[in-house]
Amino acid sequence: MSEIQLELNKVSKRFGGLQAVDHVSFSVTKPELIGMIGPNGAGKTTLTNLMSGTLKPSSGTIYLNGRRIDGHPPYDVTRAGLGRTFQITRALGRMTVMENMMVPGLAHNPRASRKDLEARAHEILALLTIDHLTHELSRALSGGQRKLLELGRLLMLDPAVIILDEPFAGVHPRLQDTITNYIYRVHDNGKAIMFISHNMGAVFELSERLIVLHHGAVIADGEPGAVRNDPAVIDAYLGHDEEN
Amino acid sequence: MIDFRRFEAAIDNGIGRRKLGYLVIALIIAFFLWFPNDTSQSNYAKTVFISGFFYAIMSSSWALLAGIAGQFSFGHMAFMGIGAYVAGLIARDGFIFAMLGVNISPESISAVGAIIIGTVAAGAVGLVIGWLLLRLREAYLALFTIAFSELFRIMMLTEYDYTGGSNGLSLRPLLQIADVDAARQVEYYLMFGLLIVCLLALYWVANSPIGLFLRAMREDEDAASALGVNVVRYKILVFVFTSMIVGFAGAVFYSDVGSERIIPEQLEILQMSLIIAYAVIGGMESLIGAAAGAFISRYLLEAMRQVVISLPFGLTTADGSDAFVWDTGYWRFALFGVVMVFTLRYMRNGLLYPIITWFSGRDIAMKETVSKRESDDEHAARIEADDE
Ligand SMILES: Nc1ncnc2c1ncn2[C@@H]1O[C@H](COP(=O)(O)OP(=O)(O)OP(=O)(O)O)[C@@H](O)[C@H]1O
Ligand SMILES: [Mg+2]
Repeated sequence: MSEIQLELNKVSKRFGGLQAVDHVSFSVTKPELIGMIGPNGAGKTTLTNLMSGTLKPSSGTIYLNGRRIDGHPPYDVTRAGLGRTFQITRALGRMTVMENMMVPGLAHNPRASRKDLEARAHEILALLTIDHLTHELSRALSGGQRKLLELGRLLMLDPAVIILDEPFAGVHPRLQDTITNYIYRVHDNGKAIMFISHNMGAVFELSERLIVLHHGAVIADGEPGAVRNDPAVIDAYLGHDEEN
Repeated sequence: MIDFRRFEAAIDNGIGRRKLGYLVIALIIAFFLWFPNDTSQSNYAKTVFISGFFYAIMSSSWALLAGIAGQFSFGHMAFMGIGAYVAGLIARDGFIFAMLGVNISPESISAVGAIIIGTVAAGAVGLVIGWLLLRLREAYLALFTIAFSELFRIMMLTEYDYTGGSNGLSLRPLLQIADVDAARQVEYYLMFGLLIVCLLALYWVANSPIGLFLRAMREDEDAASALGVNVVRYKILVFVFTSMIVGFAGAVFYSDVGSERIIPEQLEILQMSLIIAYAVIGGMESLIGAAAGAFISRYLLEAMRQVVISLPFGLTTADGSDAFVWDTGYWRFALFGVVMVFTLRYMRNGLLYPIITWFSGRDIAMKETVSKRESDDEHAARIEADDE
């Protein structure tokens, strides 16, 4: 099991006059399954971008396994052990599914043999039910299949912490089960997973811990049952009709 | 009509496409090695081939930069020019050494030494330009490199005290062979050897993990970076590498191997556009396609200088000749434009792409996998059926 120690200290991001992320602090110290919810524009994606190095925080610090990662380029953060997917999928269109898998494979293990990496990629693709597409160009994949491919690419990096930005959005219910299955498996392998979702069914089914973001700030962080009944959360996001 | 599929099946069951492909390449190389020994060929034909090899290097290295790495640069000719001009200046005038504060006389620089210095200079400028281009994409990158290229050309044109201005600059001759025929023979093999070496180097990079990372970067820089690819490093690397290749090729070519002087006209955007056109026609994502595109185009452009149409049935032209002679002038470039328009519209991967994929057997692989796009619903239905 890999070491996990992710720590955010008062992380903020301003876009001009807009405080997109507002003094967010939390830490992940064990292989938890964390749900992150919040209304549209709450700052969930921005926070993901800050953690993955895509954006640089205006202030605050982020540490991963004792290394400061805020403001570091994404490839560096990835190598430090934090992997993420994108809300809007980013398949490498004019490359095959296997090549999409080999990019992180070789970037992460430059010395590994291609054969071993390909074998591993194939196993992952089979788990995600897209192994029959191995030699297709990834731009030929459907929306849901692209999501699955993104999840597969992450595993080639073997990250300690995984952040999934809306893995269920726009995906067929049966494929959502495949994704749920994936999340459980990765979690069983001792990784921390944080997933952002508007799908409350999945959120309450999967999460061991729930973080709620509103106007860029964390308004609740804890056991899902408790968070669900938190008046601030009900006001900001869940709404009163969710109670029954 | 011949049944192409039966022919294809016979090859697949026999020698195999890949092996046949290697055989074809071997035959092509053998032809080029034999060609200058054909005594019926004039020195002029050899000269055409020599410049064909040079342009093949230019276009194939540009294919790596633009087609594979996605850096659509117009600065490629300028980097070639840097290699040639620096090699020429360093062996001619002491001012560069004086500027650097070292006490070396230009006379002591050999042709080989000058070429090496020119190559390194092209690489060094490639490093700086690559770094400046880091945040620029697509059209912005193209505009920036046009500006850089023009800046360099105008500098070379204006500083005629050093560069010879529009008359051009002679480099130290690399070869000293008195006999013209023998000289042309050696120049031919030298340039052909250079092309083979450059192609091998380009292929090595394209097929290594670096090539995979470059393509990932072309597709989506942010995604590549999130997947662990150090985009900054590879972007600079590809600029330095291709700049050194063309800097080297330029320095050698203008050291009286293919041409006796480098002129600023060579650095005009039109010339750069031709490099791009050759690559596009041959296939800009294929190194060998781009090289072949350049060579064949150069050859055809030469052959089309004068078009002679013999008239049949004893017909004669108004002035009594039995053939119609047309000095095409710039019209040959127009035909060339038509070919390019056709390529871009109907064969985006280049005219040679179907041949290359056929030999590599890639189209077999494509046929074996799902050829139609599967929707999420169909995918779900299929895995549901598998589960039962
Ligand atoms: N690059 C940017 N420049 C300016 N404003 C931005 C930028 N990125 C995000 N924002 C703004 O920051 C706020 C937070 O956006 P963000 O995408 O993080 O929300 P989110 O919680 O992911 O929303 P959703 O649920 O819709 O995905 C929004 O108001 C958005 O408009
Ligand atoms: Mg979002």
